[in-house]
Order: sequence, then structure tokens, then C-alpha cells
Amino acid sequence: MAKLSLRNISKRFGDTQVIHDFSAEVDHGEFLVLLGASGSGKSTLLRIIAGLTDPSAGDIIFDNLRVNRQSPRERDIAFVFQSYALYPHLTVRENIAFPLALDRFKGWHHIPGISAVARRVFGSSKEIAKQVASVSSMLGLDEYAHRKPGGLSGGQRQRVALARALIRDPSMFLLDEPLSNLDAKLRAELRGEIVRLHRLTGKTFVYVTHDQVEAMTMATQIVVLHNGVVQQHATPQEIYARPANTYVARFIGSPPMNLMTSAVDDGQPALGGLRLPAPAGIRLRTGTVTLGLRPEHLTVSADVGGPGLAGTVRRIEDLGADTLIGVQPDPASGLKMWELNQDDLLWIRQTGQTRLMAGDPCTVTPEARMASYFDGDTGLNLAPAETSAALLPG
Amino acid sequence: MSLRTSISPPSVAAPPIQDAPSRHHMWQRISPYIYIGPAVVYLIIFMIIPVVQGIQLSFTKTPLVRPDGGTGVGLDNYSRLLSSPQFYNSLGATILYTAATVIFAVAIGAGSALLLNQAFKGRTIVRAVITLPWAVPTVATALIFSWIFNRSDGVLNEVVGVLGVGQQGWLVEPKFGMAAVVLTSVWKVMPLVMLVVLASLQSIPSELYEATRMDGAGALETFKAVTWPHIAPTVRVVTLLMTIWSIRRFEIIYLLTGGGPVDTTNTLVVNVYRQAFSNQELGRAAAIGALGLVLSLLVTVVYFMMERRNAAKEA
Repeated sequence: MAKLSLRNISKRFGDTQVIHDFSAEVDHGEFLVLLGASGSGKSTLLRIIAGLTDPSAGDIIFDNLRVNRQSPRERDIAFVFQSYALYPHLTVRENIAFPLALDRFKGWHHIPGISAVARRVFGSSKEIAKQVASVSSMLGLDEYAHRKPGGLSGGQRQRVALARALIRDPSMFLLDEPLSNLDAKLRAELRGEIVRLHRLTGKTFVYVTHDQVEAMTMATQIVVLHNGVVQQHATPQEIYARPANTYVARFIGSPPMNLMTSAVDDGQPALGGLRLPAPAGIRLRTGTVTLGLRPEHLTVSADVGGPGLAGTVRRIEDLGADTLIGVQPDPASGLKMWELNQDDLLWIRQTGQTRLMAGDPCTVTPEARMASYFDGDTGLNLAPAETSAALLPG
Repeated sequence: MSLRTSISPPSVAAPPIQDAPSRHHMWQRISPYIYIGPAVVYLIIFMIIPVVQGIQLSFTKTPLVRPDGGTGVGLDNYSRLLSSPQFYNSLGATILYTAATVIFAVAIGAGSALLLNQAFKGRTIVRAVITLPWAVPTVATALIFSWIFNRSDGVLNEVVGVLGVGQQGWLVEPKFGMAAVVLTSVWKVMPLVMLVVLASLQSIPSELYEATRMDGAGALETFKAVTWPHIAPTVRVVTLLMTIWSIRRFEIIYLLTGGGPVDTTNTLVVNVYRQAFSNQELGRAAAIGALGLVLSLLVTVVYFMMERRNAAKEA
């Protein structure tokens, strides 16, 4: 129903530009996540789509209509706020019914006395009652119908906010960090709930978050924003497998991708003293390149002297199912880690537990074909993009 | 190294558990009384004792010149008051004055708070100017307005003169006296209402207004759904305070009209003063004061009953 196009959106607040020339096309039914650290401009972008903030330049297009001049209500979209924004003096039921009752209220209904009657008539209208009941049961809110938001937990409040968005049957849902105020367990639970609502309604969702787990688990498309500039617009899988640049490589993944400077000779990169085979599909020029390896593409063993990168175990983080091992490479190997890497260590993810202990000498071997290569100066991924070109217009 | 915790009871009888000595605990028990002590002493000396003495006084016939030489007359002061039309006139003036002042002060104060909560150029200056009357000393206010209302050369008569109305004695004609006093009082107390309501308005989260925009609510719906429920408790409190302060307001009324013209502004408090210092009847003045206290208490009790009902509705 609604295809969302954003064309060359810019926004400045006074002297600071928070969004630089943002363009994106989102097909109907997509789940787009705007992912970025705080201050990246992601919430501002969402508010521009909603009509709560006007862009300094650029067009917001729903299907073939430019909606820049339309009020938020006219755009037929629902917005879910991080702070829930429930009407505190209305019951759960009244909060959910609010947008519907509002549609029926006409000017003269506000005359004192008449307004009370009108509210009662609309409130008990069969149609509204039916819709409220179906939406509340969908979100498991039946038993709270007559409570006020003040008597609900954070998770319940956000469910009410979702119900209030859902009942309008809008053409698009905008969600601004809806899970940020909840604890980890509730967050996981509501993540599933929101994905379910997305499937159920088949509507376009635009979801703002700083949490890469939410982005990876819910999105069909992710836009990574940094300082108001798009870093990458791609599917979650591609963003993980082929980050467009070193910023995305560091932003996605926990722990993030290990980045290090690598000398290239005759098309073959080096990992410290270790020579890696020339990567398929990329011609590396002689000089230096930034080499990236995800923690799960490294293995560590206790046999010293074997083929690989010699080092010392410095940190062990046992997560139960996995273990994270932080290794300090031998200074003799000449490996130059990016200073960004946590504690200057090479992080390795291993399934299960390890027998290694901090202080043990060890050998690290990379899965060379999984490595990413970035331009040493621009930070751009040297591998050609597969699908991202199709997603980005122009 | 064993990490196992013993679950079975120890075989040797454990010594009985005693509280460890704690100075902290002693201090926690004593300190509240030390903190509230000064306030209690203050209240006893300046509130409780004077009120009790005042009530005692109301059962005596005491001339002003000999405050400690009263003779007990029982309920005589009260029965004479309750059968005198002058007392009921005074009670009526109090209620009229209070109702008019509170209604106008709260309506105008809350209304201007709503207007001043909008973003516009020079808002800070306008707020400061509107707040000014509250900072003017009451006596100065009364003087300024007595000049404005002056029959021969007051500003108000100049203005109505332009409109073609002749000179009026705003403070000396019975039909205008109360209006003039109410107008002055509203001018003086309205800024406080405005400030308090404005503070409450500014604590409304902006997301709520954005939510109503998303839901397509107009100005009136937004006011009813978000603004009013939020400021209503503040408006209720400020109304209570305004009511109590109006019941016992003295300076503005006494300095402008002295209770006249023809006793139209002779409120209970002005009446107390006149009984005590013009008629030199301390006992009768104290009786009026006691009845005024009852009126204030009545208002407060009604307020708290309303609040409790509201709280019950909220839950």
C-alpha cells in the first residue's frame, strides 16, 4: 500500500547539521531499522517521516505523493514512543480507543455536558469496543483494560502503546526505540511480539534503535547511520558478512570485528608474520590494507610453535555457550592492531569452554577466506557489494 | 577447596542471636524528633497558644484598654453575633469577595499561563512584566489603586470620561465598592496563580503532545486529554490557597474602602478589626475571628474530601 521514498533529506538545527542528504527507498511491507549510536540522526529522521519535525530540505514521498505539507495525522501513520506517551488519566481501554473515538468527535461535541454524553456513546459503541477488544487480546492486555497506565509495568505500557498504534490500522508504523526502557528479558519478548505484528499486518515498519541485536533480529533492511550520514543500507546478513566500511564493521557484532593493519606483497596480505593466500575476487595492491576478522573466524590452540600467529592469552570471558578469548599477539610478530580493539586484544569466539587460562602462550589461526579487506585510507570495503547497490537509489 | 554449603542444622546448639550495638540505630530513632522539634515549638508559641487565647477571649467581655481585665460572659458574644444582621452582612461580603476574587484570579491566571506557555518572541519579558504585581508591596498596591479609583482626578474616571460616562465614585458608591476591591485583589494575586500553573504546564512531557498530533487531536481535544488532567491538581491546590488567603485578606480591603461604602466590603476580617479597635470590644472581635476560623476550616475540609475522592477515582 505505501512505498516510502526519502529523497535528499537534510536537517539542520541552527548551525549543526544532523542529517546529510539522506535518500532511501523502502518497499511496502519492509521492516526497515535505522541503526546508529546516539546523535547519529536516526530519531530525527523518524520524526521527519512522521511529520513531527520538518526537514530543512528534501522530499518525503508515500507511493507517488509528496507528503511534506501533510500533518502527522493526514499521513496515516502510527508512532510508538520510547517513553510510551500514554495518556496518564485514561484507562488502558480508553487509551487504545482514543484515536478511534477522536475520529468520531465533531466540534460541537465539545460543548460541556454534550462531551460527556458523546464520550460515553462512543466509548460504548459496539464497533469501537470490538476493535479494542481484538487488539487488546492480540497483545494480551485484556485483564488490564480498566487500569491506568500508572499501575502497569514498562512492558505492559509499551504493549498499550503498540495497541494504540495498531488500532488505527495505519499504512505505516514508526517506532522510536520502543524497547530501550525495558529490561533484557522483556526486550527479547517484545522483539518477538513486534516481528509477529509486522507479519500479521504486512505493513511497512520503520524502527529506530541503537541496539544491533534488535536490528539484526527484526529487520529486513538496515540503514546504519553515523553523524547523519548513511554508512550502509543492506540486509542484516549482508551488513554482517560484508560491512561497507570499518565503522559498520566495528558497530555490528559483539565483540566487533578485529581490525588490524596488514602489509600486502604481491597480492597477498600478511597477518603479523603469517602470509595469507590472496583473497578471491579482490586485487590487493602492494602496500598496506586494513584486515578485518570476526571473532568466530579465528581459532586458538595451546600448541605453541604450530603454524599461525603466536600470542599470549590475556582475557577469558565464559558466556556459557561460547567463550570469548582475548589474545595479545607476540610483539615479535609485528602485528599492528587497530587501537579501537577492546583492550588492544585480538578477540576470538569459541563454542563451549576452553582449557586455556590467562597467561598461557597460544597460537591463533585465521579462517583466511572469511577475512574482510578495507582501504587503509578511506576505510571502504574493497570487496564489491552484492545487493546493496540495488537497494540504494542513484 | 570445597564450595558446598551446609544445609543440615549444626549439631552444637548455636548461641542466641543478639543485636549488634549500633549508634546509628539510636540516632535513627532520635533524630526525627530533633528535626521537627523547632517547628513544633514555633507552632505552639505562634499558632496554638494565640488560637486558644483568642477562643478564650471570645467568651469574655474585654475592653480594648484593659486586655487582661475581661469578664466571662459565656456564649453571649456568639448569640449576639448570630442574631445580628450586621454579622450576616459581613459573612455575605466575605463569601462574595472570596468567590469573585478566586474565580477571576484562577481563571485569568491559568488562562495567561496557557498563553505564556506558547513559544513567541519576547516571552521572557512578558512573563516578567506579568509577574510584577505580585512583587509590589500590598500597601503600595492599595495606594496606587486608591489613586486610580479617585473620584476627582483618578485615571479610571479619565478613561470612562472618554467613553462618555460621567465621573463615578468607585470607592464610595455602594454599587462599585466591592468590584473595585475585587479588581485590585485579582491584579495583585493573579500572577501567583499564573506562575504555579505555568510551572505545572512545563512539566508535561512533550511526547504526549506529539502523541496527540499523531492521533490527529485538535487544540481542544489535546487540552482535554493531556493539558487539563495534568494541571488540574495544581489548579485545585492553588484554588484552595487563594480561597483561604481571600477569606483572611485585610490590607487591600481596609486601605481602599475601610469596609465601606455602607459596609458592602465589611468582610469578617475587616469586621474583626473594627470591633476590636473602633468599637474597642476585644471579646466580640475574637468571636468573629473564631467563626472565620470555622469558615476556613470548612473550606479546607471540603477540599481534602474532594481530593480523596479524586485519588480514589484515579486508582
